[in-house]
Amino acid sequence: MKATALRYGSLLVLVAIILLGLAAYHLRAAADDDLPHVQFDADNISPRPIEDLTSKSVPRDYALAWQTMAQGLAGNNTGLLDGYFTGLAKQDFTERIKSQLKSGLQTRYTDRGHKLEALFYSPAGDVMELRDHAQLDMQVLDGGKVIYDEPVNADFTVLMTPGADRWLIRQIQATSGEKP
Amino acid sequence: MRMLFTAVMMFAAALNLAASEIHAPAQVVAGSAITIQTSGSGDATFYLIGSVVANKSKVQAGSSIPIDSDQLEHAGRYVAVLCASDGCAATNFFVNPATANRLSFLVHPSRIPVGTSDGISAVAIVHDSFRNLVLKPEPVTFSIMAKNEKPVSAVRTSENAVAWVRLTSARKEGPTRLGASIGHADEIRVVQQVAADACNLRIKASRDKRGFLIETDPIHDCSGNPVPDGTVVSFTESDNAGKTTVDVPIKRGTAKVEMPIEGRAKITVASGVVTGNELEVAGGQ
Repeated sequence: MKATALRYGSLLVLVAIILLGLAAYHLRAAADDDLPHVQFDADNISPRPIEDLTSKSVPRDYALAWQTMAQGLAGNNTGLLDGYFTGLAKQDFTERIKSQLKSGLQTRYTDRGHKLEALFYSPAGDVMELRDHAQLDMQVLDGGKVIYDEPVNADFTVLMTPGADRWLIRQIQATSGEKP
Repeated sequence: MRMLFTAVMMFAAALNLAASEIHAPAQVVAGSAITIQTSGSGDATFYLIGSVVANKSKVQAGSSIPIDSDQLEHAGRYVAVLCASDGCAATNFFVNPATANRLSFLVHPSRIPVGTSDGISAVAIVHDSFRNLVLKPEPVTFSIMAKNEKPVSAVRTSENAVAWVRLTSARKEGPTRLGASIGHADEIRVVQQVAADACNLRIKASRDKRGFLIETDPIHDCSGNPVPDGTVVSFTESDNAGKTTVDVPIKRGTAKVEMPIEGRAKITVASGVVTGNELEVAGGQ
């Protein structure tokens, strides 16, 4: 009797582990699916050559920044900005979310990808400037009702600085796309 | 048939005339007030969405909507939406940066040995008064004000809001002020230049009660700057029994250590990668 209970108990634990594993895999896959596609080009970066590790972490962290920003603006959650934003960028998006909350608005971005070009990497490695050509679908909702829905092709000038274990967006500014 | 078609067209035209429309200037300079023109009639809701703002207000369709300058301080893409009983109409416009008037000045490192070639990096990021990046080329003046020396300056034109220079540290230790200026902005950073590695490191030995007192001459770098107190000097004694190393910080310009030595021994000195002279001493004589 005791042996049967033990056998069924073990079987249940095994099934639970498999189910949890599947759920974790599914959640991870879903998170990866949400991550915006960033095509990174550092061929023209100067004056400091980009390190191998940096050339991987910059597009990854930039994608994660957009993902968290989109989630923050959709859910009006300023806490999501803590991960990948600092300085003026964090201050500005925080202000935007507070303004959305006050007006009862939400913004939804469907990210269709970014062409991210590194322009400048300081000699000391403490700041990188990039240009992003982003393709997005932007929806603005008032109390859940869509008041604006449009595809957006936007250019951004971005300053990123290294943090403890990742690159952070310090400033991001949409430009009209014209060459200065 | 023709009459029916004309009636439908007229009805559609009438609908179109009644539908609300919204028009904004295509390009605006940051910190400028604008007026957004609307058409239509009746109560409506106006939305202004920008990088920092997401405002909503009640307006009358067909009226001009003034937007204060403080709502348009941040450069970027803005969306203006007018929602009336017949639906929503939207328009986009860009707010461009104003005149360059501020700088973020990044200087690295804050402390550097003298005579380090291209060792100082100075990066100026050009902003307008509202901290927008000014992307059009602007002349940035970098200056170096070393102690007791004439200031030297150079102009670099910014590219995508960034201007930068790389500098070699001076031959003399001490603080050097680095400046960057544009418009009304004048940013200063101080870089402390410290002595480089020791040069011509020399030791001498004298007997004392418990063995030998080994002492360096005053320690300087190759430009004659005293190596700062606290820099570690390593004394190594080699004899038949093996090697013994003692690390001593420089105090008042020199480093010294007492070594009990029995028999013959060689004493060497080093500081960082620099080695000094070698002494041969004999204890108990």
